[in-house]
Amino acid sequence: MSEMSRLKFYCDEGRCIECDGCSIACAEAHELPAGINRRKVITLNEGKEGLEYSLSIACMHCNDAPCEQVCPVDCFYIREDGIVLHDKETCIGCAYCLYACPFGAPQFPREGAFGAKGAMDKCTMCAGGPLETNSEKERHIYGQNRISEGRVPVCAAMCSTKALLVGDAQEVSAIYRERVLARGHGVQTSPMTWSRAYGAK
Amino acid sequence: MANTWGYGAMTNSLGDIQNARSIIIFGANPAVNHPVGFAHFLKAKERNNAQIIVVDPVYTKTAAKADHFCQIRPGTDIPFMYGMLNIIFKNGWADESFINDRVYGMDLIKEEAKKWTPEKVADVTGVPADKLIQITTVYAKNSPGTLIWAMGLTQHTIGSSNTRLAPIVQLALGNMGKAGGGTNILRGHDNVQGATDMGCLSNSLPGYYGLADGSWKYFAKQWNVDYEWLKGQFQSPEWMNKNGFTLARWWAGVLDGKNGNDKIHNGKTGLKALFVMGNGITSVAQQAKIKEGLDNLELLVLADPFVNEAAVLTDKQDDVFLLPAATQFETEGSVTATNRSAQWRRKVVEPLYESKPDQEILFELSKRLGFYDQYTASMKDSSGKFTWPEDATREIARIIKTIGLTGWTPERLKKHTDNWHMFDQVSLRGYGEMKGEYYGLPWPCWTENHSGSPVLYNTNLSVKDGGMGFRNRFGLEHDGVSQLAAKGSAPKGSKVDGGYPEITRDNIEEVLKIKLTEEEKKKIGKNWKVDRSNIIAQKCMEAGIAPYGNAKARARVWTFPDEIPMHREPLHSPRQDLTKKYPAYVDKDNHFRVDTKYISKQTEQDWSKDFPINLVTGRLVNMNGAGMENRASKYLAALSPEMFCSINPDLAGQLGVRDGGMIWIHSPEGTKIKVKAKYSYSVSPDRVFLPFHFAGHFQGEDISHKYPKGTKPYAIGESANTVTNYGYDIITQIPETKGGLCRIERA
Repeated sequence: MSEMSRLKFYCDEGRCIECDGCSIACAEAHELPAGINRRKVITLNEGKEGLEYSLSIACMHCNDAPCEQVCPVDCFYIREDGIVLHDKETCIGCAYCLYACPFGAPQFPREGAFGAKGAMDKCTMCAGGPLETNSEKERHIYGQNRISEGRVPVCAAMCSTKALLVGDAQEVSAIYRERVLARGHGVQTSPMTWSRAYGAK
Repeated sequence: MANTWGYGAMTNSLGDIQNARSIIIFGANPAVNHPVGFAHFLKAKERNNAQIIVVDPVYTKTAAKADHFCQIRPGTDIPFMYGMLNIIFKNGWADESFINDRVYGMDLIKEEAKKWTPEKVADVTGVPADKLIQITTVYAKNSPGTLIWAMGLTQHTIGSSNTRLAPIVQLALGNMGKAGGGTNILRGHDNVQGATDMGCLSNSLPGYYGLADGSWKYFAKQWNVDYEWLKGQFQSPEWMNKNGFTLARWWAGVLDGKNGNDKIHNGKTGLKALFVMGNGITSVAQQAKIKEGLDNLELLVLADPFVNEAAVLTDKQDDVFLLPAATQFETEGSVTATNRSAQWRRKVVEPLYESKPDQEILFELSKRLGFYDQYTASMKDSSGKFTWPEDATREIARIIKTIGLTGWTPERLKKHTDNWHMFDQVSLRGYGEMKGEYYGLPWPCWTENHSGSPVLYNTNLSVKDGGMGFRNRFGLEHDGVSQLAAKGSAPKGSKVDGGYPEITRDNIEEVLKIKLTEEEKKKIGKNWKVDRSNIIAQKCMEAGIAPYGNAKARARVWTFPDEIPMHREPLHSPRQDLTKKYPAYVDKDNHFRVDTKYISKQTEQDWSKDFPINLVTGRLVNMNGAGMENRASKYLAALSPEMFCSINPDLAGQLGVRDGGMIWIHSPEGTKIKVKAKYSYSVSPDRVFLPFHFAGHFQGEDISHKYPKGTKPYAIGESANTVTNYGYDIITQIPETKGGLCRIERA
């Protein structure tokens, strides 16, 4: 597989201002039920001078995705472009994937009197699911399929400061490199979250 | 602002902030209130290594992105800025030639600044002396620096002094009239600049034409209505030229001085009806008084796409009408951005259900009140027809000369919006087909082919390319000193090398060194502000002359109670020792028709004894203004489903308040609210922060059942403005929501 076609997320902690434009856009676009947060913005050390940082987090669509490796019913599949998707109709809601995920991405609707978990839900990078592309059923179960229409995932499209980027790994890397060079300080060699999600390279 | 150099508007643009080498932000939180615009700040930091400095009582999201932050005590911006000036002058960092050529009255500022040593500033503001020195050094040494502010600077009894001293800092450093500099006031809502320009003010006509017979006559003529008829609409002619009530204090007009309320001066009657269009009432200070005002109205009309909180706050049972107003997507027309650029908005859908766009509502109202013909007279052609909104836009372009809207024809504005991709986002300069114009034709746009003016008061450009000096608005001389700019400080390509007065029919030939033809002499208006022929502007462009003159900015405003900005403690100050040294103004009678208390309120009692905690209000990123539509969106509401109070864990711990526990906040007004405590280090232990977007609870009582069926928003809670304190600016009457006091008790 050529690296050219690998899609990755990157959130720039120097730019993220916790406006939640990404998470709201995601919820609106996919009409998520209350309590399901495919994407969320995490703020660390809120209010502490010089220590407060915010980062938008969702499924990072990892290399060798740990969720896929632990799934007992094998409902995950990884597309050629690196997008990690799963079949909700196969998923049994066991939440093994949640324990495996380093980013806390999998979401579970709570159903019934005892709060039984339903099928897992997570960020699809706006690429739908295993059903017929752009079918009514796909939209209903997995949300919009913007990738099939050549559109950027809605979170990054909405990002007010362009902190959240998504796209071809090399393009994203180039933008990251440009910003790091422009800032002219620090020796961080890869974006936060990348070493965990995508490995050392 | 307007009293310093002519116009009260953002001088540069959001994109231009990318040109700054340092950015100082007073009482503004663009990361929350202008998240998209804030990208320009971040790019300035990234690409230009711009130093971001935040001066704010709260460690905001903007502060989290800053290089330097200082937590100032609310209401002490003037000592802080004088402290900066003290250091600037002492070290010789001021731009003396700029001051000499283009500023009047700076010597008085220098004298006052001498008194504000860093140590003294530290005592008053709570900002350590070394921090002040560091910030001033960074700001003065990284030029150009841009100065940003918003409501944190304006919403004080001394707001109008704050907004004069900030420009003075910029003048002292020579940061005016250049890319990357300027005073950039961030407007808080879509089209606030446009609404202000169009006269949504009770002390001026559209375009800031003053309330005077001459202006009324000019407008009567332009509106094609009889001046006598216009005059007859008033109770008696003298009311034509008096300031009206303001948004902050209309309720005083209803209460009419009864039950100990402030006395009013309103033609022997109180206000009886209130018509609200697009203003969420929960965002206005003193909700308990507002409720009393609403309850005592004879008629209340609320025109909004969502249910205005006023309908829920009031106990009034009859004669309350909710009119479903259409949204911006259901109508068309021009709006004005914070940087004075226009944008044409097209209709996306027809108005839903029975909702109507605002202009339809007003047309219908004018028909019922019997003045529809006069109302629309100047838009109509010979057959009595007009096209909305194009003919309204043409009317604006025809009449409003003061801020140079002549060039804003609907055709040009549409072309800009349709070709927005052909403009540079930093300089606003157009290319390709749009070459020679700036995006949205930022006003002043003097003629129908003028480029627009992206940076106000920039003398490095010729007038026809958007250059200009400061406006000659305050006479030719004061105390024997000429108010015109010095030699050598005219805009590029000017026929006059130096200052010159505003252009009139009588002086045009002399100043521009031209001869008018007899034909032109016949057509030309009395001065540039009322010259419908636009000959003055045309001739000025040819001569490289700004029609409004080329004068000095003034640091001294001799018509204000404080000729130079002076520190005065808030009416409710936690520092009682300082209220004696820096007392409030004397009480002001008939201030926008209401007697307004200053010193008598400040000295009524030692407020800090019973109310020891400073109270600051502000916004959340997911809410806009009153939050009327945002609270009704389930996803936005989910981010802040209930009202809260940010409280430092140290303070909370002393009061026995747990994170997430309920508290009562009491105000000196005798009002209280019950809200959830949210532990936060963003506030110091001597102050708390409240977001002001909530409604539906009032003084501990849930009143949300009063929402009409199916209209109750997802997020409800107490209005912060139930506990904001009494206090209004001495000039503008904006309420003091950023510098009050409160007491906190565990609920």
